[in-house]
Amino acid sequence: MRVNRRQLLKALGLGALTTLATRSPLAFAGGGGATSPSRVVFFVTPHGHVPNAWTMPVPGAPAAGFAERSLADLAPGDFSEVLRPLHPFRKKLLAVEGLSHTSVLADIAEVMRTGGDLNNHSVGVAGLLTGTRAQQNGGAPCTGGSRSLDQELALRTGAPGRFGSRAYGFEYVPNSSVAPFSFLGPGQATPVVADPAVAFSDLLGYYRPGSDSVQTRDQAIGAKRASVLDGVAAEYEALAPRLDAEGKRKLDDHRDLVRQLEASLGVASPSSCQASFDGSGDKLTQFMRLIKLAFACDLTRVATFVAPVPQPTDIGYPADTTMHTYAHESIANATSCGAMFNPVAARAMTDMGVWYAQHFATLLQELDAVPEGSGTLLDHTVVVWVTELATPTHLHHDAFTLLAGGCNDFLSTGRYVRYPRENTSPIAGFAKAGPAHNRLYVSLLQAMGQTDTTFGMTSAKGADGSTIDLTGPLTELHTA
Amino acid sequence: MRAWAPTYIVIAAALFSAAVAGCSDESAPPSRPELPGGVGPAPLRRMSDDEYLNALRDLFPGQAPALPPLPHETASAGFANATEAQQPSDVRISRYETIANLYAKGATADAAAVAALVGCTDWSMPTRAAACTAKFIDATGSRLFRRPLAADERERFQLRFQAWRASIDFEAAVFLTLSAMLQAPQFLYRPEPSSPDASNGARRTVPVEPYAMASRLSFFLWESVPDDALVAAASRGELETEEQVRGQAERMLDDPRARRVLWSFHRQWLGLDRVLGDEHLVRTPEVDVGWTASTPVAAAIESQLFVENVLFANGSLRDLLTSRRAWVNADMARIYGVAAPADPAAWSEVELPQAERAGILTRVAFLAGHSHRGATSPPIRGNGVELRFFCQPPLAPPPGVDLSQPKADPADGPRTNRMLFEARTAPASCQSCHRGLNGLGFGFEHYGAGGRYQAEERGLAVDAHGRLYGTDIDRTFDGALELSAALDESSMVHRCATQQWMRYALGRGLVDEEAALADAVSLNFERSGGNVRALLLDIVTSPTFRLRRVGN
Repeated sequence: MRVNRRQLLKALGLGALTTLATRSPLAFAGGGGATSPSRVVFFVTPHGHVPNAWTMPVPGAPAAGFAERSLADLAPGDFSEVLRPLHPFRKKLLAVEGLSHTSVLADIAEVMRTGGDLNNHSVGVAGLLTGTRAQQNGGAPCTGGSRSLDQELALRTGAPGRFGSRAYGFEYVPNSSVAPFSFLGPGQATPVVADPAVAFSDLLGYYRPGSDSVQTRDQAIGAKRASVLDGVAAEYEALAPRLDAEGKRKLDDHRDLVRQLEASLGVASPSSCQASFDGSGDKLTQFMRLIKLAFACDLTRVATFVAPVPQPTDIGYPADTTMHTYAHESIANATSCGAMFNPVAARAMTDMGVWYAQHFATLLQELDAVPEGSGTLLDHTVVVWVTELATPTHLHHDAFTLLAGGCNDFLSTGRYVRYPRENTSPIAGFAKAGPAHNRLYVSLLQAMGQTDTTFGMTSAKGADGSTIDLTGPLTELHTA
Repeated sequence: MRAWAPTYIVIAAALFSAAVAGCSDESAPPSRPELPGGVGPAPLRRMSDDEYLNALRDLFPGQAPALPPLPHETASAGFANATEAQQPSDVRISRYETIANLYAKGATADAAAVAALVGCTDWSMPTRAAACTAKFIDATGSRLFRRPLAADERERFQLRFQAWRASIDFEAAVFLTLSAMLQAPQFLYRPEPSSPDASNGARRTVPVEPYAMASRLSFFLWESVPDDALVAAASRGELETEEQVRGQAERMLDDPRARRVLWSFHRQWLGLDRVLGDEHLVRTPEVDVGWTASTPVAAAIESQLFVENVLFANGSLRDLLTSRRAWVNADMARIYGVAAPADPAAWSEVELPQAERAGILTRVAFLAGHSHRGATSPPIRGNGVELRFFCQPPLAPPPGVDLSQPKADPADGPRTNRMLFEARTAPASCQSCHRGLNGLGFGFEHYGAGGRYQAEERGLAVDAHGRLYGTDIDRTFDGALELSAALDESSMVHRCATQQWMRYALGRGLVDEEAALADAVSLNFERSGGNVRALLLDIVTSPTFRLRRVGN
């Protein structure tokens, strides 16, 4: 059943506020505390993986068809270079080779016909998490054409006292525009908080340790926050009916968010959660800890993190290196017209992948260090590492996706799986491609307790006229 | 329709240009033609972040609290003030709350601050407190909401005030009421509600209600709230006729606050803040050994000073494209090869070298902002001109093509950047777009990726010949100075600039009904010699700005 934020708030009404304030925090942990809630992190990195540096062999696999191997017994040296930093978590990993950004390819094929922005960065940024065609913006870079998966899950898992989602990270600027990957709706970028200290105080805005003791006058004023927000919301309610439909909708949406903030103030957080800001390490590391904090305190169940392109000096290259140029040059025998393979570029893009993997490992370590129920926070989460492009040569055909955490045993981890590339590409002249990323998202929706069987685009045309099905979960990833 | 004699305009216009402009344009029409009708929709607008922060600055001049960053606005067609991209989010709502509380705290910091805000000094007795409350809510409410409060509004705020006062004290109630007002839709949005009468009946256009018109003018021309004079004019119903609006707008354009819109618009239209992106923190030593992390900031400031100073003094599109006036610090003086100010921290006016520099397209912010770290990109610069001056959206390269910087094969000997790009984009499939992009972009090859002038590149003479295709000014040209002069002659460029200004003024794209209006405004703009002040006056006095649609 879908309950959106507005329906929920309407159902709660005003009188619910006092009830919520006295509700046990455990009641929020999904089903009265018997099971731990499922969470998801989208860990998005720019560009893509150098295939040889990410893939691992599948011994004894048939020449065609689906193949898999266990990761459990592999030594660090058996891991591919990019995945090696994650070896300590091998039993909780699910590496997925061979998905395709099919909706993005279909979008490109269509825009090639009709005109518009089909820069591979823009369409990737717009289509990676939305799985639909991008919204064209008349010369400005295209943006997401629909609500992205993280925001869809945010709507479904948010509740009073709990953010729908948190979107953190860095402005990734391929075309001098902010590219958030995450969209509230068509053309509406999700705000991405780029400063860890600000992100922390955002979380604290919801965090109310113990009882709100009022001793000073400042505290007395602070204790009126909810009352002020109630007055604010009332102003939106008074004005909205006097506007046209579009204006009314905007004010209603604004009012809902004010009410949500108001309702949140009265909700206690689990006593187990330790809220303190740790400013050590680089910003990426700080954000990994913040995601842990947000999940451990059940302040959200959905997080999106967009990693930056590292400064070249972060990974040992001269300051004037242009990583983007290296991306183009990083794959031998690539079909980019005029591209010259440069072994240094391949090395640099691999080093960039390793750098991301190290921060991904930090996140897993943080989540795995929090005991919860019969396991750890990581066991009840799925961390999804997706890339803007499939390969650094700016193509969207062959993606390399890493999942970590079983999401309450929904996903069967400890494995490396390889999907066959059996679909004709929507773009003529390109190699065959594997299953659509849309289908991974169906699996993730189901892992998060939803019953959807599609997400975003449902079918696409191959360049040969064949129909590509983008629906249904990737059941090979699920536990039996 | 105007009820006054057209000759008045001629005299007024003549006096205006004699007194202020000090220049005469012989091609100016004998009388300004009446602008055709055509009124577009007026969707609810939220203050852009620039407008919001300016409003707080103007309303609370004594305060400058450190604010948390607002979430980035989604730009639509290049501008961050587009209503269609103003979906609220939880982060934004939370920032509004935090910022409201910071200002409320500052405005009630001590008894003197409260007294100044409330307009009372003694609220100790209940009867006095009631009078002070009414005074505070009416005065502050109308200042924030840009109109007198309605009876129901006043009552709601008074009831809340009284409850907070009873619970804490008078000063706390002032704090909390101010915080609520700063988060209310009447402050954050620009509602123009229809009376029940106006909503009914046949579809027609009516003048925008006076207080709403005051806000339309001030948020466009000042990017902020109206001042007392504008609100007073609204209260007298003096923002209805074309000449009333023009009179106020002329006053406003003389006010330094009008510099804000000149910079905000041009910054976004011309991408003058691109140079602040991460890529431009660094330049390779071959490009510019002197480039530091503060250079991009200086480049942006230089472009801001140029745009504001040249255009605020009754400047024109021609000035923007061809003026050699510049305001430089030591770093910019170094790049331009002119004498640096004696004080290294100062900015002073200079004239740039005649053979090397003209208007905005030859300034570091544009040149470096449309380059890479180690080399120029003629297609990016060419695209910058096509998109921004001809309103021609770029076609993306086909998927899979190599977008990396072309490099010379050492075996071939030295190659200029131009030669490399010519070779890279030689295939016929590239040429359909690159003929135009390169034709524009090659014209900038005298300027390196850091904006320095170069007669030679890698020991070879620079060839900066370019060519315009598919425009009303098609020609070959030599270098960016000739290109800039050509752009100034183009009707297409004037039309594109007009469309961008109108989009910015209205917070939305133009609709079909406004096509004739946009054409007329654009023609006026061209005939005025690209006078920006005249263009803005045309826009604010045009039917689509002064009128709105009502009825079914």
